[in-house]
Amino acid sequence: MTKAAIHVPPKGGFSFDLCRRNEMLAQNGLKPPCSFKKTGTTIVGLIFQDGVILGADTRATEGPIVADKNCEKIHYMAPNIYCCGAGTAADTEAVTDMVSSQLQLHRYHTGRESRVVTALSLLKSHLFNYQGHVSAALVLGGVDVTGPHLHTIYPHGSTDTLPFATMGSGSLAAMAVFESKYKEGLTRDEGIQLVSEAICSGIFNDLGSGSNVDVCVITKGHKEYLRNHQQPNPRTYVSSKGYSFVKGHTEVLTTKITPLKEKVEVIEGGDAMEE
Amino acid sequence: MEGSKAISHEIGGIEKDALRFGLSGVKSEFVGDHPLQSALKSTRITQEQMKSKILASTYGSAFPLKMDLDKQIFSRFQRPPGALPSSMLGLEALTGSLDEFGFEDYHPDPHDSETLLPIDMHHGMEVHLGLSRGPACHSFI
Repeated sequence: MTKAAIHVPPKGGFSFDLCRRNEMLAQNGLKPPCSFKKTGTTIVGLIFQDGVILGADTRATEGPIVADKNCEKIHYMAPNIYCCGAGTAADTEAVTDMVSSQLQLHRYHTGRESRVVTALSLLKSHLFNYQGHVSAALVLGGVDVTGPHLHTIYPHGSTDTLPFATMGSGSLAAMAVFESKYKEGLTRDEGIQLVSEAICSGIFNDLGSGSNVDVCVITKGHKEYLRNHQQPNPRTYVSSKGYSFVKGHTEVLTTKITPLKEKVEVIEGGDAMEE
Repeated sequence: MEGSKAISHEIGGIEKDALRFGLSGVKSEFVGDHPLQSALKSTRITQEQMKSKILASTYGSAFPLKMDLDKQIFSRFQRPPGALPSSMLGLEALTGSLDEFGFEDYHPDPHDSETLLPIDMHHGMEVHLGLSRGPACHSFI
């Protein structure tokens, strides 16, 4: 049976090549740099009378540093489906992009509009396969032939189906607003108002969330992406003269140039011409 | 060369040649480098088994057997090792992975891996012709 094993060229994906080396280095006393930075986000979604509204703040953090004051956390999945991402920004981006490509392939294959459950099962099976190592906590919303749908997906692959949902570190602040004010059959304007209020609650009460409010309204056959719908934290002072930094503005104190020595012989992959 | 004298070649299992590729730790070979690695591997195997069981109970046991043979035929039909890897179009069409799109299709190119062994085409060819002993290089039979 081993002789009949199927061997195909190696494919990409997660590489575990250096795990053993890193373990050995750690055993020998190397302190690994702290690689996990605290992330923070507020993302929400709710179902209103004609469809789904998604909302997100726009702050990207890495530990105590705000890396981006105006990032996008509402990702495109399909023309009728959008997805908010919390957790590691690269992971949420990679996972949503990959699943949106899969959905596009599926649409070419079937010639029909994608369903939200298709996106949901693709996402959850992927996240479950990776056992939480892909740290993406998502709020998935969309409108398909079976009506509006809203789901939350946790990094380990478990999912919820809810009329209103929150995720991220500001989820508690946002859920407090939803639980006190949500009711069925909200109109579009009421829905947007409630979503903005929930996001603002996250922005002002959670240190990991901040800056502006992004909103995405999805109805049957139509969607509206309201980028920076509200800007509750505008820049307080901008110099009227503008800012210009002349060359050499920052003084160079010391310069040291170390020429590289070639120590490693490079072997080309595969077989090159050997003769 | 006579059939009896020809050196039988192993298919795959290239990492078992200790003189050429170094000793491999028994533990790391079974456990893997990372818990996720073994989990991904076992998931793939159980999914394949489940699929063939479903096919067997739907179409009879001959169907998955024939499919398995087809898979083996398609997997042997590959380009010699080199700059251009085989696309395995036939195999992907048969297994259905042509319609799927995952991390492995775009994430990092395996040829950018720091630990990938460059494949020796001449050795693979020698094994193929029965001139040399050892595993044939695993992407060329």
